[in-house]
Amino acid sequence: MKRILSMAAGAVLMTSPALAVDIEVGYPYSHLFDVTYEKIMKDFKKAHPDINVKFRATYEHYEDGTNTILREAVSGNLPDVTMQGLNRQQILVEKGIAKSLEPFIAKEADFEKDGYHKAMLSLSTFDNKVYGLPFSVSLPVGYYNMELMKKAGVTKLPTTWKEVIATCKTLRAGGVQNPVFWGWNITGNWFVQALLWSQDTPIVKNGKANFDGPAGRVALETMKSIFRGCGMKNLSWKDALASFSAGQVAMMFWSTSALGAIERAKGDFELRTSEFPGIDGPPKGLPAGGNAALLVSTSKDPARLDAAWKFLKFITSGVGAAAVAETTGYMPPNKAANEIILADFYKRNPNKETAVRQLPLLRDWLAYPGDKGLAVTQVIYDAIEGIVVGDKDDMKELQQELVEEVNDLLPKGS
Amino acid sequence: MTGGRSSPFAEPIKHAILILGALVVILPFYVMVSYSFKSPREIETNTGGFFGAQQEMVNEYCVKLGNPREACLETPVAFNYSEAFKKAPLLRYLLNGVVVTASIFLIQVIIALPCAYALSKLRFWGRDFVFALVLFCLLIPVHAIALPIYIMLAKVGLTNSYAALVIPWTISVFGIFLMRQFFMTVPDDLIDAARMDGMTEFSIIWKVMLPTAIPALLAFAIFSVVAHWNDYFWPRIAITGNRDLYTPPLGLREFKGGADGSIWGPMMATATIIVTPLIVAFLLAQRRFIEGITLTGMK
Amino acid sequence: MTARAPTHRTHRAGYWFVAPAIVLMVVILIVPILIAALLSFTDYSLGNPEISWVGFENYDRMVNRSTYTRMITATATYVLVVVPASILLGLGAALLINSVKRFNDLYKTIYFLPVMAALLAMAIVWEFSLHPSLGIVNKTLASGCGTAAESVLSFGWLPWVDAQASWYARGCERGFPLCFGNKDYAIWTICFIGIWQAFGFNMVLYLAGLTSVSRELYHAAEIDGATSAWDRFRLVTWPMLGPTTVFVVTITTIRSFQVFDTVEAITLGGPSKSTFVMMYAIYEKAIQQNLIGMGSAITVVFLTFVLLLTLGQRYLVERRVHYS
Repeated sequence: MKRILSMAAGAVLMTSPALAVDIEVGYPYSHLFDVTYEKIMKDFKKAHPDINVKFRATYEHYEDGTNTILREAVSGNLPDVTMQGLNRQQILVEKGIAKSLEPFIAKEADFEKDGYHKAMLSLSTFDNKVYGLPFSVSLPVGYYNMELMKKAGVTKLPTTWKEVIATCKTLRAGGVQNPVFWGWNITGNWFVQALLWSQDTPIVKNGKANFDGPAGRVALETMKSIFRGCGMKNLSWKDALASFSAGQVAMMFWSTSALGAIERAKGDFELRTSEFPGIDGPPKGLPAGGNAALLVSTSKDPARLDAAWKFLKFITSGVGAAAVAETTGYMPPNKAANEIILADFYKRNPNKETAVRQLPLLRDWLAYPGDKGLAVTQVIYDAIEGIVVGDKDDMKELQQELVEEVNDLLPKGS
Repeated sequence: MTGGRSSPFAEPIKHAILILGALVVILPFYVMVSYSFKSPREIETNTGGFFGAQQEMVNEYCVKLGNPREACLETPVAFNYSEAFKKAPLLRYLLNGVVVTASIFLIQVIIALPCAYALSKLRFWGRDFVFALVLFCLLIPVHAIALPIYIMLAKVGLTNSYAALVIPWTISVFGIFLMRQFFMTVPDDLIDAARMDGMTEFSIIWKVMLPTAIPALLAFAIFSVVAHWNDYFWPRIAITGNRDLYTPPLGLREFKGGADGSIWGPMMATATIIVTPLIVAFLLAQRRFIEGITLTGMK
Repeated sequence: MTARAPTHRTHRAGYWFVAPAIVLMVVILIVPILIAALLSFTDYSLGNPEISWVGFENYDRMVNRSTYTRMITATATYVLVVVPASILLGLGAALLINSVKRFNDLYKTIYFLPVMAALLAMAIVWEFSLHPSLGIVNKTLASGCGTAAESVLSFGWLPWVDAQASWYARGCERGFPLCFGNKDYAIWTICFIGIWQAFGFNMVLYLAGLTSVSRELYHAAEIDGATSAWDRFRLVTWPMLGPTTVFVVTITTIRSFQVFDTVEAITLGGPSKSTFVMMYAIYEKAIQQNLIGMGSAITVVFLTFVLLLTLGQRYLVERRVHYS
C-alpha cells in the first residue's frame, strides 16, 4: 500500500508543471537587438519553459537606458534585468541600484568553464565585485575602401598613425578629396580612451584624471596630427558613415558594430576591415564598447531572482551569446562562444573577425566617478572638437587646461 | 472684397512667389517620402530618383532568424512599409494618438474658454493678476518641469497610463491667451444684448462667444492636436514599461541604431504614415473654417 | 453704449470661470517650477538618496564659464533672426494666399506641412538634405560647377568681383562649406530650419486674424480715397491685425526661446557650442548629464530672462494695439 501511494505521489509530482516565474527585461536599440533577443528566446524557452520573460519598451540609446533606470528607481518600478552601456554601469553601481552578482557566481560550479574569463568579467567589476555580465562587445577598427586605395596606389594597410597620415597624403595626391574620418565624436570619449589604452594608460586612475603625463600629451598630439595632416573635415558621424558608404571616404576609424549597416548600405566597392592602428607599434589595449546585463530587481522573491540569474547566464554564454555575433555587428565577449560555436561563422565573415582578433586587447570603457561624470565626458569632447575645428593648437596648453577642468569636476578626496 | 485697380500681372506674380516658397517648404517632405520608397544603399548614397529603383533587397531580419536568403527577398517599398507596421504596433500608436489628442483638446477647451471669457469680458478683482499668471506660465518650458511632474505622477501611481499622457497638458495657457485675444475683438453690444435677454454668463460663453470665434477655436484645435500628436519628449519620459501606450512619433524610435547605423527606410515610412492623418484632418478643418465664417454671417 | 457698473453677478461668475484654470496652472506648472528653483540651490542628481545644499555654486559656475556666454549668444542670435523672419513670412504668406483666387487650400496645406510633421523626422531629413557631398542641396549646387550656372553664381560678370575667389568657385574646388560642421554657419542653418518650421504656424494665425477684419471697413476706406493695395493694408488690415500681431509676436518669441528639437537631433549644441541654446543646455545638464541642480539653475535664469523680455515687449506693444 505504501509503495503504491509513494509511486502515485511520485507520478503526480513529476507531471505537475513547475510554477512559472515572470521577469521583466529592458534593452536598448530596438533596431539592432530585437532580432537578437527573438533568436535567443527561441532557445531560452526550450531550456527554461517555466520562466516567462516580458520585454519592456526598448531604450532609445545607452544614455536613455541609464536615465530610464534612474527614473524608475525613483518611481519604484524597476525591471529585473537591464542592459546598460559598459560605461554606464558605474553610475548605477554607485547609486546602489545595480546588485552585486557575487552571491550567484559563488553558487556556480565552474563559472570559468562556461567561458567567463577574467578579462571579460573585469569589464563589469567594480570594487572587486562583479555587478554585470557583458553581453555584446565592440572594438575600434579601421574600415578601408579598397577601390579608392588601389586608385591612389596604396597597397599596404597602415598599422600605425604615422603610416595613416602618410597614406592620407598619398590618397590626396591620387585625387581623393576626403581621405579619412576618425571617430573622435563617438560617445563616451571612446576614441580618446583608445589612444590612451594603446599606451596602456587608463583615462581615470584613483578618481583623478590620468592624462596629465606624457601618455596624455602623445594622445592629443596624435589626434592633432591626424586631423591636420589629413585635413579631416568636421562631419557628424552620421554624415561620415554616409560618405564612407557612398565611396567618398577612403579610410574610416570607427566601432566594429557599424559593420552591418555599412555592408548593407555601401556602394559597389570592396570593403576591408583591419586592426586599429597603434602609436609606435600595435596598440597595447583598446576600450570595449557595447553593453552588459545588470541585475536591478527590487524583488525579495528568491525564485524571481533565481530566474533572473538564469536569464543573465543564458544570454551571455553558449548559444545565447553566439546569437549576438550572428545578428549584430557586436561580438560576445564569452571565450567559449567565440572559439567553439562561432569559429565557422568568423571564417565566413572575415571582416567581422578583425575585432575578434583584437579581443586580447580588451580593456574597460571607463566612466568618471561621481555625479559630474557625464559633464566630464562633455568637457573632453568639447576640447577635442576644438582641435578638429582649429580652435586649439597648443596641445601642451590644452592638456593642462583639460586636466584642471576635469579634476575640478571630479569628487574631491576620493 | 477688393475694389481698387489691380494690374493683370498681379495674380500670376503672386502665384509665382507662392510656388517658389512652396518648393522650399516641401523639399524635406519630398525627401522623406522618397526615402520611404528606397533601399538602404539608395538612401545612404542618395541615388535612384524619386521612387528608387525598386530592386529586390534582402530582408535582414528574416535572414538573421535563420531563414534562407531566397525566402527573404522583397522590394524596398514593401519592406519599408511593412516593417513600419510590424516593428512597432503602429496602428495602436495611431489609435493612442487619436485618443490622447482628443481627450487633451476637449479638456483644454472646457478649462480654457471660460477662463478666456472671464479675462476678456468680465471685470473682477485680480483679473490682471490672473492674466499675468497665464503669460508667465507660457514661458515655462516642458523640459524644465518634466522630472518634477514625473515624480508627482509616480507618487500617485499614475505613470505608464493614459492619465500620465493627458494630465500635464490639460491646462493650455496658449489656448487661454489665444481665445482671450479673439474674444476681445467681439463687440460688447453682443454680450450686453444677451445679458438683457436673461442669459447666464455660463451660457453666454457657449452660445454667444464660441460661435463668433470658430476660426480661432479651429486654430487652437490645429495647434493642440498637432503638438500633442507629434510630442516625442513627454511620452518617452512618462511611459517606460509598456510600449502599447506610446504615441505615433515613438514609432520612429524602433528604427534608431545610434552609432551602429539606423535604418532609415522604415523610419521615413513611419514618418510619412504618422503625418498623413494630420494632413487629412487639416484639410477637413479648412472646410469647416470657411463654413464657420459664412455661418456666423461674418464680416 | 452706456457704461455699466459691474454687477455682483458678473464678479462671482468670473471667479468660477478662472478657478479650474488657476488650480491646474498652479499644480502642473507653478509647483514644478518652484521645485526646480529650490533644486537649483542643491547638487541633486537622480538616484541620490538625499539632497545636499550648495548655495549659489551653480549660479556661480554659470557666470564664470565661457560655455554659458556662448549659450546666451546662440539663443539671442536664434531669437533675433527667427522671430522677425517667421512673422514677416507668415504675414506675407497669409496676405498672398488670402488674395489669390484659386488653389488657396493647396497653398495653405503646403505651407502648414512643416508644422504638421514630426520634428524628429524633419530634423533627420534636413540633415540628409544638407549633407556636404551627398545631400540634395549641395549636390544641386555641385552639378552647376563647370557650367554656365557657375559663371552666374560666382558673380564673375560683375567687373570688380574675382570669380575664382568667390564662395561658389571655391566650393566647387574644395567642397562646399559644411552647414552643420562649420562653427560659423551652424547657427544660421539652425535658424533657417527654425524659420521654415515656424512661419506656417504664424500664417495660420494671421489667416484666422484676417477673417475678423470687417469688409465694411475696406469699403469705408475706399470711399475715403484709399485705392491702392498698400493703402488698404496700411489703413485697415494692419491696424485690425493688431490683436493677432500681439499674439503672434509673443508666441513666436517664446517659442523661439524654447527651441530644442533641431539642436538635439542634429548639432548637439556644437560645433564649439555655437548652437548651444538655453533649452538644450537645460536638457543637457538636467537630463543627459543628470545634474538636476545645475539644470534647474539654468532654468531659473532662462525664465527670468524671458520674463523680463516679455514684460518689456508687452509694455511697448500693448499700448499701441486697437481692440474693438
